[in-house]
Amino acid sequence: MNEKTEIIAEPDVKMVTFTIDGKEVTAPDRTFLIKVAREHNIEIPTLCYNEHLEPYGVCRMCIVEVTRNGRRRIVTACNYPVTEGIVVETRNERIINNRKLLLEMMMARHSEVEVIRNLAKEYGVDTIRFKEQPSEECILCGLCVRVCNDLVGAHALCFAQRGPERYVTTPYDVESDTCIGCGACYHVCPTNHIKMEQMDGLSVVYGDVSLGPDKPIHIDFMQAVPATPWIDQKSCIHFQTDGCGICSEVCPTDAIHYDMKDEIVEVEAGNIIVTSGFKGFDPSPMYQFGYGRLPQVMTSIEFEKLSNAGGSTGGKLLTPDGRTPEAVAIVHCIGSRDKNYNEYCSRICCMQSLKFSHLIREKTGAEVYQCYIDMRCFGKGYEEFYSRVLSEDVHFIRGKVSEVTDFSPDGLPEGKVLIKVEDTLLGIVREIPVDMVILSVGIEPQVGAQDLKQKLRISVSPDSFFLERHPKLAPVATATEGVFIAGCAQGPKDIPDTVAQANAAAAAVLQAIAQGEVMLEPITAEVMEEQCTGCETCLSVCPYEAITKDEEKGIAVINDALCKGCGTCVAACPSGAIKQWGFDREQIIAEIDAVLADIAV
Amino acid sequence: MNKFASAEELTRYQGELKRKTNGALKTISLCGGTGCKACGCNEIHTKLVEELNLREIRADIKVTGCQGFCEMAPLIVIRPDDTLYIQVKPRDIPEIVEKSIAGNEIVDRLVYHDSDGKPIPKESDVPFYKAQLRLVSKKTPYIDPMEIDDYIALGGYSALAKVLTSMSPEEVISEVKKSGLRGRGGGGFPTGRKWESCRKAEGERKFVICNADEGDPGAFMDCALLEGNPHQVLEGMLIGAYAIGSSEGFIYVRHEYPRAVQTFSNALFQAGEYGLLGKNILGTDFSFEVAINRGGGAFVCGESTALMASLEGRVGEPRAKYIHTVEHGLFNLPSNLNNVETWATVPAIIDMGVEEFTKIGNEKNKGTKMFSLVGKIKNTGLIEVPLGATLRQVVFDIGGGIAKEKAFKAIQTGGPSGGLLPEGMLDLPVDFDKLWEAGSMMGSGGMIVMDEDNCVVNISRYFLNFLKDESCGKCLPCREGIRYMMEILEKIEKGEGTMEDLETLEEIAHTVADTSICGLGKSAPNPVLSSLTYFKDEYIAHIKDKKCPGGICKALINYYILEDKCNGCGVCAKVCTMNAITGKKDQVHRIDLDLCEKCGACLESCPTEAIVRR
Repeated sequence: MNEKTEIIAEPDVKMVTFTIDGKEVTAPDRTFLIKVAREHNIEIPTLCYNEHLEPYGVCRMCIVEVTRNGRRRIVTACNYPVTEGIVVETRNERIINNRKLLLEMMMARHSEVEVIRNLAKEYGVDTIRFKEQPSEECILCGLCVRVCNDLVGAHALCFAQRGPERYVTTPYDVESDTCIGCGACYHVCPTNHIKMEQMDGLSVVYGDVSLGPDKPIHIDFMQAVPATPWIDQKSCIHFQTDGCGICSEVCPTDAIHYDMKDEIVEVEAGNIIVTSGFKGFDPSPMYQFGYGRLPQVMTSIEFEKLSNAGGSTGGKLLTPDGRTPEAVAIVHCIGSRDKNYNEYCSRICCMQSLKFSHLIREKTGAEVYQCYIDMRCFGKGYEEFYSRVLSEDVHFIRGKVSEVTDFSPDGLPEGKVLIKVEDTLLGIVREIPVDMVILSVGIEPQVGAQDLKQKLRISVSPDSFFLERHPKLAPVATATEGVFIAGCAQGPKDIPDTVAQANAAAAAVLQAIAQGEVMLEPITAEVMEEQCTGCETCLSVCPYEAITKDEEKGIAVINDALCKGCGTCVAACPSGAIKQWGFDREQIIAEIDAVLADIAV
Repeated sequence: MNKFASAEELTRYQGELKRKTNGALKTISLCGGTGCKACGCNEIHTKLVEELNLREIRADIKVTGCQGFCEMAPLIVIRPDDTLYIQVKPRDIPEIVEKSIAGNEIVDRLVYHDSDGKPIPKESDVPFYKAQLRLVSKKTPYIDPMEIDDYIALGGYSALAKVLTSMSPEEVISEVKKSGLRGRGGGGFPTGRKWESCRKAEGERKFVICNADEGDPGAFMDCALLEGNPHQVLEGMLIGAYAIGSSEGFIYVRHEYPRAVQTFSNALFQAGEYGLLGKNILGTDFSFEVAINRGGGAFVCGESTALMASLEGRVGEPRAKYIHTVEHGLFNLPSNLNNVETWATVPAIIDMGVEEFTKIGNEKNKGTKMFSLVGKIKNTGLIEVPLGATLRQVVFDIGGGIAKEKAFKAIQTGGPSGGLLPEGMLDLPVDFDKLWEAGSMMGSGGMIVMDEDNCVVNISRYFLNFLKDESCGKCLPCREGIRYMMEILEKIEKGEGTMEDLETLEEIAHTVADTSICGLGKSAPNPVLSSLTYFKDEYIAHIKDKKCPGGICKALINYYILEDKCNGCGVCAKVCTMNAITGKKDQVHRIDLDLCEKCGACLESCPTEAIVRR
């Protein structure tokens, strides 16, 4: 509540000079007194002030005594506009005594509320002379009502009744359907009286992908490039009610424009590098692991978010009920090396799981159980890291987990789940109660890769990742000239491998650019205009989309730059109107003749 | 009726009306104020019409607004003789018609009799009226509030005509400033200065607002004006709007005044028909419209900022007035709010001229003020006196002293948030400053007189209870402070109070007064603070002696039967609902104090005054 506010003077506003607590200060005319006081580090207590809202002046904590034109009176600093020559006293005897009595009144009704207790302590209010009532959390500061009505514009909160019976509620005391679940009221409430609860589609809580309510303005992840925040229109208050607008108010560079929209930009390019990446395997269909059903079960990507310092818990590893875990299980090969899902190895999961073990041990000291098929720690320094984690008292269990359950005939401690795993080295089945289960999910081709494949005319391998032209000789090129692939679009790989492949793809593109010209295939097909009937058969068979129809002439036209000379169209043309250079009838017969000539000799 | 195209047309019409009413017909002015209505003036009216028809007598009957002498309701005045008949019953009508209307006699038994039993037939000779100076409420007894012609015939709207034709807005403001008129709603802020600030304030539109949210218990001045003479209020608003440069007005009437809404909306309609409201009033460039808004019944909406919030459709809650409403008021635009009585005073000032007006009142308080005089007084009613008249004049000359020959204890001015003033202060001049200095206030003009049978602790608690219920609850000191003060007073009433409680009470009172947002909270401690100043001994009697001098606080009183006076009639035993009184016929009765609920019914029923309260 005591953030310092910078007062920016409008150019044509006159400045006034006045005194606060004997100190002469200058400020723009009619600035609210509290802003000026804070600017000069003069502490004035308040419970109902928020600089983004119109001052309300109800808690009366910010009372000060002002002398203006020889007249002394008590005013509230939050909404008193300063004028030339006033003399302000913020802590004289009269003010302190009044504040004390006001706090005493507050304590009689809100004795358990921390902010009130702290203030009362600060002012030495220890005896309450009034009839004490059961402590109420709501101190009627009106911040929630004002933020909802004036700023958010949702009008989902209001006051009801008057006098001592006044209370905060939803209009007509009924559940409000105008609430947009923005949580602004929850954030401004100084006493935590307002709590956020899960509401369908409104506030996302732990267990779903984002692990806690995301602010509408966010940077996708900490390492995102460029690290520019963006506004999620679905959860942004402004796009729902036309209210708020705080972000544009506080942005010092005036970079926020609400009228900006997503747009499709057309770029003319000679080369394309496909780096569409991957998507994590969705373990929901693997019912035995309880993902989506048991709140303790999460994927490796969700754990990564949870552990991130910029995440919803600030990097603290917490169970869904807010505890620090005592035992964590990491289950390997979820959706990888599994005939039912993906047969291939996702390559990164072993190292990722080792990293998690290390982090959990370091952050919480919890017992970590690694349930693996076999550890695949190839790569520079990886085996060494494995050895290090082995020495960190992490339990390695060779065997696949068969089930994660919240049921045990013997009963389970509150908040724990049970994993069942066959330890193939010991030859026994183990049942381990844990607080958190991390499913080390595999890598799958990105959503939309199939679309991209069609658009770019490139092929995929049986695992559905994009296919390189040649695994050794052309590992970043594709069958389509000018289209290159890199990273997990081509197959599962870790960051160093991805960077290396990306460099190679960039180099290949630069090579083409440096040459300045493109070498065409010497053997292409050509349409003989007078014979073409315009039946369009060739258009549908060309795998490179090199044939278009000239609507004016009513015939097919082949683009030499796109044609790879495969000959499909030549064979398909019902009227024999397409010939391939170097392969016309006379040439082939001549070739045959030449071959047979030797035999004849 | 065609709209008046110029001021001359209005003057000509005024002349016509005067000629018409100057006939030889007698006028029967029947008070139709709330008090008289409650006492049966409707039946009297029916009977009167019936009787006149029967005897074929032509006379002009006017049912007017409140004429003021509510104690003697229903009232009938026969003009031009000005004979006042009080407490008239329908059965008296034939006699009145026969003697006073058909003839020129006076029905002696129905006129006012002074304390010596001497009849006083002429209205203006009755002490209640004689001691008053009627300026704002002068026309009310002569006007049917539903007839604009009645008002015009008495010179109504000529102030507006004068202003529109011969004065610039600045001149009007300067006149009002010179008149020294101060806000009659209670604040006492100089009206002219307010108008001037509003005229100077920048804004595309400006509003003129009439505050008719009269909420003080026992106050009915604004009600009487709106119900009795709505056109005078409207004329004041028109003059104010012209001076300020506004073309839109609002009147905020409390929901409990349906008749005021009726008369005022009728006035708006009639004024519109005559071209005195709407576009190009009296053929000039000045245009003005008024909308009526009904309040929902919150006392706090009488506070200007809360009223404006309510007008805007928001919850009626006040805000800090460090930025004045004349600059940023209704819809954040310059707004000039005045009370009904203030608006009604304006045409009177223009009509009589500043010089005459300033002769009334004292140095800093000019003109007259209306009060509703209620409580333990002989002559309850609506009165108007020059500012600066003493409380003694009000209570004894006009009010006729305390009812039932009891002793005067205190007078509460300014409604629930005013102060209690003791007998020693009776010579205090009634004006804004003097009342304030004495720890009370003018308020909107409620005056409640209390006698020896009232308990100041009980009265203070009563007012605090009212204010607690009416506090909007926005700011902490008012919401919580009033309640805690009340709790202490309840303790004292029960005889459980301590001297420390008195200190705490005073402490809370000062903090509530110092730190509340609006006038309601700031003035709420007035009854407590003033009674602590003037009647501290009564508090101490409650605390130390466990006695209630007024005999009100039930926990501190008991009823006893005096053996030497009780004749054993048994009436008291019959009225006692708790069966607490026992005794054989013709023998001394006794009250069982454990069963007694202290309702006082026995005391009132005893024919021999054998029951006492101690």
